[in-house]
Amino acid sequence: MNGSAQQVVISGYSAITAAGAGLEPLLAAIRDGRPALSPVSDDRVGRPDRLWGRAAFFRASEYMPPLKARKMDRASQFATAATGLALKDAGIDLKTLEPERVGIALGCGFGGVGNSAEFLSGYFTAGAEGLSPLLFPNTVSNAPASNASIELGLKGPNVTLVQRFCSAESALMMACRFIQEGRADVMITGGVDDLTPLMIAGFEALGQLKSYARNFGEGSGILVLESAGHARRRGAGIRAVLDDIRTVGLFPSGREAEGVRYLLGDCSGLTRVGLSGTAVDTAPLMQQIPASLPRLETGPLVGRSLAMGGSAMAALVATLPAGGTGLHLAASPEGPYFAIRFREGALV
Amino acid sequence: MSNKRVAITGLGVFCGAAGNVERFGAALMNGSSAIGPLDLFDVTPFPSQIAAQVRGYDPLEHFDRRAVRKLSRADQFGLIAAREALEQSGILDHYSPWEMGVSMGAGASGMFQSEQWLKARLDGTPAPPSLLRGLLPDRTTTEIARAFGMAGYQGSVTTACSSSATAIGWAADLIASGRQKAVIAGGSDSLSLLTFAGFNALKVVDPLPCAPFSLGRQGISLGEGAACLVLEEEDAALRRGAPIHGYVNGYALAGEAFHMTAPEPTGASAARVMSEAIASAGLDPQEVGWVNAHGTGTPLNDVVESNAMKRVFGERVGQVPLVSTKSMTGHCLGAAGAIEALATVISLKRGIIPQTLNFRGHDPACDLEYCHDAHHATQCRVALSNSFAFGGNITSLVLSI
Repeated sequence: MNGSAQQVVISGYSAITAAGAGLEPLLAAIRDGRPALSPVSDDRVGRPDRLWGRAAFFRASEYMPPLKARKMDRASQFATAATGLALKDAGIDLKTLEPERVGIALGCGFGGVGNSAEFLSGYFTAGAEGLSPLLFPNTVSNAPASNASIELGLKGPNVTLVQRFCSAESALMMACRFIQEGRADVMITGGVDDLTPLMIAGFEALGQLKSYARNFGEGSGILVLESAGHARRRGAGIRAVLDDIRTVGLFPSGREAEGVRYLLGDCSGLTRVGLSGTAVDTAPLMQQIPASLPRLETGPLVGRSLAMGGSAMAALVATLPAGGTGLHLAASPEGPYFAIRFREGALV
Repeated sequence: MSNKRVAITGLGVFCGAAGNVERFGAALMNGSSAIGPLDLFDVTPFPSQIAAQVRGYDPLEHFDRRAVRKLSRADQFGLIAAREALEQSGILDHYSPWEMGVSMGAGASGMFQSEQWLKARLDGTPAPPSLLRGLLPDRTTTEIARAFGMAGYQGSVTTACSSSATAIGWAADLIASGRQKAVIAGGSDSLSLLTFAGFNALKVVDPLPCAPFSLGRQGISLGEGAACLVLEEEDAALRRGAPIHGYVNGYALAGEAFHMTAPEPTGASAARVMSEAIASAGLDPQEVGWVNAHGTGTPLNDVVESNAMKRVFGERVGQVPLVSTKSMTGHCLGAAGAIEALATVISLKRGIIPQTLNFRGHDPACDLEYCHDAHHATQCRVALSNSFAFGGNITSLVLSI
């Protein structure tokens, strides 16, 4: 298994966000500059000026048998539904592929926390009698990727990561490498988050609602990565080539410029920059982005979340003009930082 | 994976079984189990009331008061293990910050503190919000990177009980592919009411210390702690005269796509991953001397893992012991893969195959060599370490000296 620089392409994508199911509603929100945020609807944490990007419209039973949906937590439902949509977009019929050659790598923010809180609340209010064993399996944050793999029959590499606001980017980096190494032909990657009123209460307690947890969102954004050879052989439509992934964990004090230089590389020739996580608030980064470069931000439209990079990257790729190059820039308050380059269209 | 050979140049551990590498090695040799009573929270409502807790832990022996308030129990364990591994390896004085990364696996993480916040909220009593700081598993990675000034890759794998095995395999690949010169890799996790109550509710916790591959075993014993390995490109490590404890030769991972909690019964998926791991290392199954099992001690896991062994090693399976160090450390969930990788490397170095403790009797469905009697002396230089998880996530690491 060598690390040959096999080219990786994006052959499909999808998103479930506060704007709606599928990438189209998100792209429409971007086009119109129309936020899909809504007032926090929970009595305990709702305030007149408090918004969130909740996908309130989402009905899991539209994507899977209701019995299966009931066994999943909300994040698993998002991931399974979004993965199905992305595979369809990529024109992939899983029955025609070897299941062992199709894997999944997702970033997952607070997935599992909802079930954990519900499970523990049962115990804290009613003792051991109050424990619901069925809630426990989906308290793990790999539940979304693993439930999606079980539901769809993906037997390739399977992994979940979390790293602050760069959770989806972390997953994409690993997915890309799995294809380059020849571990898989197709990797489902991106991010998934769910959002509950209790999380808003937690953000409030930590004082984060005034900073980066303001207007938090949820949903799932998925990209279908594929080796260029595999995509070509099955005659897939190639949306973009994944050109480069760079990451820096933190900027040591006094060495920020060095870190930014390495991360961004040469910014000339870019068509658009996508700003994800807290990139827009990270001054050393933003100072190096040409003011004339068109920007794409999904956070103000559908909410910010730890694994928002999935839908942000899908939106960036989908809005690149023919031959254009997009830079997806993701940051977290204490690091890490990712810079990922996508080039629209055909292979070189 | 092996463009560049990946050496292990630092080891660190802090868990119920031992507070450092030397004592961990002694516990492996002596066959002493850390599973016993716990006092971290009230366990009287549960059928099983034991675990491999880090007993008598005083955070102030390791951190100042301000740091203790900010760090979850899991973050603290991770930092302690990381410090031991990094000091031993000497990489911090050698590489630029950008050349060094952090790849950790995690599980329940700061849940132990966060669940106290939830309880207070339900009771309507005030609780310090700092209890929530370590809720997310990525915190341990962030804290290690910051504490030791490692500015390269940062990532946290969260696939429950296979997290830290994957984190180590991935870290090795970051070096093999030339992305990083050195990576600290491992895992950290702490006991929590969530996992203690959860596994008890699923009725997979043994009321007695877990007895992997034994007749009458009833399930897992939980544990907690952290282990870290410093990984580095072999040539660079040799040039700087670093201690080399062993190698990460390869790994593989997959999802079974079968069931959230039950393993695929034939062991075919596990066997596929083990075989892929061996192939990724450029080795032949003939070269593998023994396997550090996932070996939880649940009735089903131990049979499935034994089945997988037969598929991988064929007629030779009787000569490849399958042992479980969980009988010593408990099941440390997000840290299990790292603690077991460390146990594997230490055992390879000491020329032993560890004993599977707490034997209760021969189970006809587990018909391999499990070293139930004592640790066995061995000349072999290569071993596998298996980790399986909720969701059907399977990882197998190939380690050698």
